[in-house]
Amino acid sequence: MAILELKKVQKTFGTGRTKVEAMKETDFEAEKGELIAVIGPSGSGKSTFLTIAGGLQTPTDGEVMINGTALMDLKEKKRAALRLKEVGFVLQASNLVPYLNVGQQMQLLDKVKKGNLQKEEAKELYQSLGIDHLIRNFPKDLSGGEKQRVAIAKALYTNPSIILADEPTASLDSDRAFEVMNMLKEITKEKQTATIVVTHDTRLIDDCDKVYKITDGKMELQESVHDTL
Amino acid sequence: MKSKGSEVMFLAWNEIKNNKLRFTLVIGVLVLISYLVFFLSGLANGLEQLNREAVDKWEADGIILTEESDLRLQQSILSKDDFDGNGVDEYTELSQLSAIASNEDKKENVFIFAIDPDSFIMPNVTEGNTFVNEGEVIADDTLKEDGFEIGDEISLSSTDETLEIAGFTDKARFNAAPVLFTDRDTLETLQYGETAEGDNNTVNAFVIRADSLDNVEVDEALQVIDTETFIENLPGYTEQNLTLTLMIYFLFIISAVVLAIFLYVLTIQKISIFGVMKAQGISSGYLAGSVVAQTFLLSLAGVMIGLALAVITGLFLPAAVPVAFNYIEMLIYGIILIAVSVIGALISVQTIVRIDPLKAIGG
Repeated sequence: MAILELKKVQKTFGTGRTKVEAMKETDFEAEKGELIAVIGPSGSGKSTFLTIAGGLQTPTDGEVMINGTALMDLKEKKRAALRLKEVGFVLQASNLVPYLNVGQQMQLLDKVKKGNLQKEEAKELYQSLGIDHLIRNFPKDLSGGEKQRVAIAKALYTNPSIILADEPTASLDSDRAFEVMNMLKEITKEKQTATIVVTHDTRLIDDCDKVYKITDGKMELQESVHDTL
Repeated sequence: MKSKGSEVMFLAWNEIKNNKLRFTLVIGVLVLISYLVFFLSGLANGLEQLNREAVDKWEADGIILTEESDLRLQQSILSKDDFDGNGVDEYTELSQLSAIASNEDKKENVFIFAIDPDSFIMPNVTEGNTFVNEGEVIADDTLKEDGFEIGDEISLSSTDETLEIAGFTDKARFNAAPVLFTDRDTLETLQYGETAEGDNNTVNAFVIRADSLDNVEVDEALQVIDTETFIENLPGYTEQNLTLTLMIYFLFIISAVVLAIFLYVLTIQKISIFGVMKAQGISSGYLAGSVVAQTFLLSLAGVMIGLALAVITGLFLPAAVPVAFNYIEMLIYGIILIAVSVIGALISVQTIVRIDPLKAIGG
């Protein structure tokens, strides 16, 4: 069973002559252990797809299922709880709380959700992401790459089954960007999560299991990763 | 297991710790407001005592005055025979005169109360002796601070007769003036002169102790009022109390508004990070709880520092400033200040609930 499934999902804004189709009828599936790239130019509908998949906005039509639960049947409070349990977001801008140090960012998650990583598991995660020496640092003291690695750690800390990453390499140089993508790939395989990376950088999709391309709101699965290159 | 309070406190406390200057300013404003509230409450309490402590000391249930007196002791003139004690446990006559007393060096506005030395309104003597001979008085000890001493001969503005201070008593001010206690003969001499000796029957009031004032039987020209009503009708007493109480209530509102504005601005600045947290699934309830917990911490700190400052100020004030702290009342005002501050935070809570995570993360 797919962990994340979008069935005939559409999103339109406005009506009549001002109607804009942000996302045309789309079917999408993500399985455990899959690293999926969603690529497309700016304004093509990538973020719309990601926010619908994460339950942050509702589609005009169609259905979004996370682990077999239809998101649209849930009220906002339950949707938020499901998000906290199943989805880890890595956002384009830093999603770190400015007045909490790296360790406290994780402690905050312990305050709001049970079943997060155990101490030893967390330690391993920090080591694998190379942030174990930054635990007492505040976001303002971190570089762009370090912030992004902490954001990934934060997304993984709650043991999510899905990781949704919105341009996770946008603020990084090429070396760092490849490093982050490799890290996401390793985590996906190791933790058996479904990881969906939205990006406009086609250089980063080499190791992805599937690639979807969005053009003007129309999303299509590419036959081969290399078709898109 | 940790309580929900400590969980929401986590975010609140860490934000305070990492934004010391910003939150010190918020606490500073709260300190100033609560200091003013506590100081005003001390002043209101001190002025209240200034007016009523002599009456409170009687531990009386009521007072009988004439209907025409408009509840004013000075305006009530009645005869000793007008009341025979029907329906009361104890009663005693009270006559009074107000005057300017002088001991050559100092002048002071005083009330002279003529009382029966064997009655329940006879004050305790804290220094010196009671009045025995005609012309002797027991004076309120605040006169001591004005330079009056035992044995001083006191001249009065309205008569050529003089009085002598035989002793002092404590807590005996009435309508903001110290009281001189003496016997009826002395008062009659002051009022009518040596030649008027005889059987003058007039008094100003009867002070009574009774289980129920409803059972006290008086002539229709007289009225029985409870002690509190009598005090409330002292000239200026209610007006003064209402003014100060109104100021305190306004300060409560100001406190709530100021803190609400501060927190609202801080919340607006945090909309994007709150939005990101909501996108991650952290509930509005948790974030709102965190703002409320933060308000509680800030107002608690502000109130406690304000309270300490008010009490310290009270220790160094000159006796002429009538400040008397009632700690139970201050505690209640402190709780009200914290409560109204938390209510002020509810505007920010509403803002948090309305934050759309989608907009906050730029979707």
